[in-house]
Amino acid sequence: MLTLAVRGVREHLVRFALSVLAVTLGVAFVAGTFALRQMLASTFDDIVATTVTADAYVQPPGATTGDPGAAAPVPDGAAAGVPLDLVPEVEALPGVATVTPALQGTGVLVGADGTAVGSGGAPTILTVLDPGDGLTDRVVGRTPAAAGEVVLESAALARSGLAVGDATRLVVLGELRDVRVVGEVDVGPATAGATLVFLERGAAQALFAPDGTVPSLAVHAAAGTSPETLVGRLSGLAADAGAVALTGEQVRADATAAVREQLGFVSAFLLVFAAVALFVGAFLIANTFTMSVRQRLREFALLRAVGASPAQVFGSIVAQAAVVGLLGSALGVAGGIGLVAALRALLAGMGAQLAGRIPVDAATVGVSLAVGTLVSVAAAALPARRAALTPPVEAMREVLSVRERSLRPRTAAGALLGPLGAGAVALAAARPDEDAATALLATGAGLVLVAVLLLGPVVAPAAIRVLAAPAVALLRPVGRLARGNVTRNPRRTASTAGALTIGMALVGAASVLAASAQGSTTALVQREVTADFVLRAAPGTTVGPTLGERVAAVTGVASASGLPVTVVTATRTDPAGGDRGAAAPLTGVDPELLGTGLRIQDGGTVAAALRDGDLAVHAALAEDRGWAVGDTLVLAGAAGERTARIGALHTSDGIGRTLVLPAADLPALQPAAAVETSTLLVTTAEGADPERVRAGLVAAVRPYVVVSVLDGEEFVSSLADQVDRVLVILYALLGLSVVIAVLGIVNTLALSVIERTREIGLLRAVGLGRLQLAGTITVESVLTAVTGTLVGLAVGVGLASALPRVYADEGLSELVVPWSSLGAMVALAVVVGVLAAVWPAVRAARLPVLDAVGQE
Amino acid sequence: MPGPGPARSRGRHAREDDGAPTTAPGSALGSALGSAPGSPAAAGATPPALAPPGTAVIASARALVKDYGSGPTAVRALAGVDVDLRRGELTAVMGPSGSGKSTLMHCLAGLDRPTSGRVVVDGEEVSALSERGLTRLRRTRLGFVFQAFNLIPTLTARENITLPLDIARRPVDRDLLDEVVAAVGLADRLDHRPSELSGGQQQRVACARALVTRPAVVFADEPTGNLDSRSSGEVLGFLRRSVDTLGQSVVMVTHDPRAASYAHRVVFLADGALVAELHDPTSASVLDVLAALGPAGSTGPPGSPGLP
Repeated sequence: MLTLAVRGVREHLVRFALSVLAVTLGVAFVAGTFALRQMLASTFDDIVATTVTADAYVQPPGATTGDPGAAAPVPDGAAAGVPLDLVPEVEALPGVATVTPALQGTGVLVGADGTAVGSGGAPTILTVLDPGDGLTDRVVGRTPAAAGEVVLESAALARSGLAVGDATRLVVLGELRDVRVVGEVDVGPATAGATLVFLERGAAQALFAPDGTVPSLAVHAAAGTSPETLVGRLSGLAADAGAVALTGEQVRADATAAVREQLGFVSAFLLVFAAVALFVGAFLIANTFTMSVRQRLREFALLRAVGASPAQVFGSIVAQAAVVGLLGSALGVAGGIGLVAALRALLAGMGAQLAGRIPVDAATVGVSLAVGTLVSVAAAALPARRAALTPPVEAMREVLSVRERSLRPRTAAGALLGPLGAGAVALAAARPDEDAATALLATGAGLVLVAVLLLGPVVAPAAIRVLAAPAVALLRPVGRLARGNVTRNPRRTASTAGALTIGMALVGAASVLAASAQGSTTALVQREVTADFVLRAAPGTTVGPTLGERVAAVTGVASASGLPVTVVTATRTDPAGGDRGAAAPLTGVDPELLGTGLRIQDGGTVAAALRDGDLAVHAALAEDRGWAVGDTLVLAGAAGERTARIGALHTSDGIGRTLVLPAADLPALQPAAAVETSTLLVTTAEGADPERVRAGLVAAVRPYVVVSVLDGEEFVSSLADQVDRVLVILYALLGLSVVIAVLGIVNTLALSVIERTREIGLLRAVGLGRLQLAGTITVESVLTAVTGTLVGLAVGVGLASALPRVYADEGLSELVVPWSSLGAMVALAVVVGVLAAVWPAVRAARLPVLDAVGQE
Repeated sequence: MPGPGPARSRGRHAREDDGAPTTAPGSALGSALGSAPGSPAAAGATPPALAPPGTAVIASARALVKDYGSGPTAVRALAGVDVDLRRGELTAVMGPSGSGKSTLMHCLAGLDRPTSGRVVVDGEEVSALSERGLTRLRRTRLGFVFQAFNLIPTLTARENITLPLDIARRPVDRDLLDEVVAAVGLADRLDHRPSELSGGQQQRVACARALVTRPAVVFADEPTGNLDSRSSGEVLGFLRRSVDTLGQSVVMVTHDPRAASYAHRVVFLADGALVAELHDPTSASVLDVLAALGPAGSTGPPGSPGLP
């Protein structure tokens, strides 16, 4: 039987290769998704490992060091940070080698060409060298010794086009500073694309710890002192300062957990994607084996007739399947990792550098191999059992009819899961305030997707009958033949279209989300922003007061006002006990801005309240906290405290769900490092020439390199661009599923051409031309691709329609369905279909006519 | 589902059941051609002869050679066949397995290319046609009925019948379609898929498809090979009637003497050469000739071209 199995493979190399390809595709889909997920996680693990290197940390209780969003809300009742005064005391402890306060902020480095140094959306991080972590020793050149000196990370230095010794400028907290590059240091790939600039400690302290506190102190132990011992010695000092001491181990674990949690959405998304990939891969593989076994039924019957037992026939089929599965899986793992490598290169091209190594962990490889092999064997086992048990006489009959398994259980499962999922989504849409709404939405969406895949064999043929109508009417007889071929095996068609369905569901949802986000922003800006120009700092950077003054001085500018944002602790003073203080966002708004550059509902009331020295609070925030007009709040920040009465409620989405105070009051609460001003609203004086004002503004912001001058329309589109950037990773996944889908269609078509050899011969015998035959196969392919796409888009758009209801409070107020880009996706599907048909069509057209006539 | 046809035809044609040779409708032609000397006398067969000039020939082969493979392993399937098949006749091609009868038909029908020699069908030199030309020829001037797998499973009976017209983008002649459908007796099964039809019904659909284009000649390759005798009778009766009433020309390859008895003329092949022919055959006379070709078929009857 082994000889037979080997010969079988050799005889039908194409068929064998296609089976292997099916397994490879399915497994590549799974392995790729897992590896991508792993790679993202490990990239951030690397960042944690390289940034959190000390043996022990002193930090306020509950804080997380190494968190990329380090300006964390201040925890209840605790110190805002660790006082710098603690540093000499800690240094004096026995066993302490070095102490480095966490001094970190973002800024902009001006490169040799006068533009901002940066890559993609990654931030520029300004920090200090920690003498304890070994980086200091690797500095080429020298370490910064004065306020105007910086060391650049090697990748940043390369990107900037600067050299050690060059003078340049740095924008920190919105202000320009002249600096000189005095050294470089190589950190490795763990920067994840961030531009690292190391400042002198004193300078960093002045910038990022003006109040004398830092988020944490990193302590390195002297040789011979264990981290635990060190923490023991630190505890007392830390407790006196209202902080705690933790080992590096603990902090790293916390930081990793925190990062993972932040990545949770991406990670969960990819996991769902992997599960769905597994599902589609399994279908693709099962599909292939069913076809392959059916084609060889007569061969098996002959074996039975010459004395092979059913067990032997079964065994030989399953053994072949195992070999195909193992081979295909191995190739699939390689392919999946290759895809991820390609994806990484693509992302690197866009500036987002991910982990240096592609994670090939045992779990990914193991799961992928097991999935491919087991699914292959299981997929072959059912038809193999049938082949083994078919009486030889019946199987050797001229026309083989293999009854398809009933679709009923599968359809029933789909019919059950579909409404369940839709119900969950509807519930989430109906009660968006529930905490579980997001989870409900995600679960529901997943269920709907799985249900659609299960229902595919019922849905796809019905859809194809409708879609094929024009082809049937216009392309006689090609359209009719193609429709018949695609609908004759619903299960096969559905699995073939499945990969595309999933990809397109994601794209549909993503484009609706993007369009809705853009639409919501546009509506918001048009509703509330009446400024003539908006000056906008790049994400992660801020506009400083100096720039505000320069802009106000531009001829023709009537007013220039920013919307600084910070976070304070807000506590209601209440005779009846009061509430517990909690972090709340605070926006600074000039009362003069209301009604000029910014027009919000009840703007007059809000402006009046602000002028009276009162607070305004977003209605939703007030409702959450149980605050009402007339309540008095204590606001505490790192720079100070103040008491204010709630004088008005506002409902502006432009300002957001925040507390509002006059912008001028903010510095008394928070130091500049804790305040971010991303936009400056500029109104022009009556009669001023907009072009001249614009030119003046452009000249004013030029030194700040990352601040752009936008009119209303440009402002809207710049916000839209931001949304688009988030979608890039989604489109990368779409690319993956499109590649899989194309190859899947090629595979199915090629196998189906082999299966239909005689039918094709017959058609050719009665006069079907080669082009007509190729046309038939192309129409089949296009029908499959378009069906998969339409079903996927319908599901995606349908699910995404729930999003504006669920996330209305987060500013997603409008539902916009981007018909033109959905149309483009359908056009893409047609192209995909045509491309996928090329090889099978050429193969079919080359089949000799006689193959139909010559009886086997 | 026999149509009204069989009863009519039964009156006009003798059946092989009668056990006696009969006079075919085309007896004038038959007698004119049946005069060649030297034959397996018992069966009344004559050595194969070419049609005299002026006779309406629908398909002819000259020095037709077909080899499969090359070099020492080459197999000669046709060893220089000269044959003329007449218009308006049902010609049966018979011979033992491996005699080359199917190969002859495939070459005549342009399904296979001969190694050498000429094939002319309806005035067109098939052996000189390009692939495109062959496709057009099949589409417009030839009809086919195969042993099995004659129908496209995804199309209904009606769609299968009109398939060649659809392929050629020719309008369907409703009258002809109705006539053909009535003749095969399938009027009430037209909207069924092949899987819902019996084997005999499927072959009758195939026959209707072969005739609906009014081809110059219909090639039938073992059309009754998979059918029971009753269904065979229906299909063969229909093919014969199409010749007699529609003036169709039909060439049928068969190994079944009973099927051959429906023909106007039977030509016999052995080892790739034409060895005998028989006019107005009966089952018995066909069997006699086959017996005479006998186990030593390769030697052939006297006067026949043997293998080189």
